[in-house]
Amino acid sequence: MSSVAKSVGGAHRGLDMWLAQRASAVYMALFLPVFLFCAVSAPSLDYAGWRALFLPLGMKVAALLFVAATLAHAWIGLREIFIDYLHCPRCTMLRLSLYFAVAVLYLACLVWAVDILWSVK
Amino acid sequence: MRFRIYRYDPESGNKPSMQDYELDIDPQGKKVLDALIAIKDTLDESLSFRRSCREGVCGSDGVNVNGTNVLACITPLEGLKQPIEIRPLPRLGVIRDLIIDMAQFYQHYRAVKPYLINLDPEPENERLQSPEDRAELDGLWECILCGCCTTSCPSFWWNPDKFLGPAALLQGYRFIADSRDQATDERLDFLEDPYRLFRCHGIMNCVEVCPKGLNPTQAIGKIKSLLVKRAL
Repeated sequence: MSSVAKSVGGAHRGLDMWLAQRASAVYMALFLPVFLFCAVSAPSLDYAGWRALFLPLGMKVAALLFVAATLAHAWIGLREIFIDYLHCPRCTMLRLSLYFAVAVLYLACLVWAVDILWSVK
Repeated sequence: MRFRIYRYDPESGNKPSMQDYELDIDPQGKKVLDALIAIKDTLDESLSFRRSCREGVCGSDGVNVNGTNVLACITPLEGLKQPIEIRPLPRLGVIRDLIIDMAQFYQHYRAVKPYLINLDPEPENERLQSPEDRAELDGLWECILCGCCTTSCPSFWWNPDKFLGPAALLQGYRFIADSRDQATDERLDFLEDPYRLFRCHGIMNCVEVCPKGLNPTQAIGKIKSLLVKRAL
């Protein structure tokens, strides 16, 4: 039976995604309170205050990492949802297309975030 | 008491339907299984269900009562909202009435090799274990394979052929955790898979329904921790 031959070992995948999702969650959980503290303790939150908040390179990098972590977290989460719900025999192509489309969209968001963050001068 | 029970007879050619029963029974101290047996004895002998030990040991009378997977033999009639709706465990095929086809469930169970793998020569008496090593198995060996957890898991509903389900994963971990077993690496190799293990998203339906009070989600978490340790 072919199913016997297939069940020799696992695909040796899944662990990296699972770990990356946890790691990105940890970063978001660490960044958000720190950022909120910085924002709340800023002297003012008008344009000048907001600009001053994002002016240091450290904040730009930390915020960009936050965006990257959020996007990676969201991509892995969507991938999980696609695997859960799209598993008909002919869904593989649809699933791959969705992974690709969402990845392109999120990478575009990432580049856009770079543009926004580094436009603060 | 009023009951509404799922009926299906593949030989009749009719679609599955719910049938109402009015049973004269004092719920005091009685279990759902007592009512099922009474219905079969006095009202409808064609009603089919599995039962054996009738005291929560054999795990053969898992059913869905008012939306929750339970063992009929240890679920008190008292306090259940009427009409008491009894259905077969979800997702696995129905053979007849409350009797489900457990083949898929057992296939996943067999896949985790639920037996000790130890290639050392057999000792004269027994393979010894320290009390601490033995304690690792508590909360794992008690599983009676009733299927309440696996059939309450949405990940199993969506991918029943590929996701092993909480019961099989708990049993898989039972042998990974056993100090006498020598096949930990092979077992982890088998489990490291986006479907077999990683469909579990930790929603803990399995913990909520387990009639033996076990925690498959925790066992699955320990498997994941071992995979991480091995990878790093």
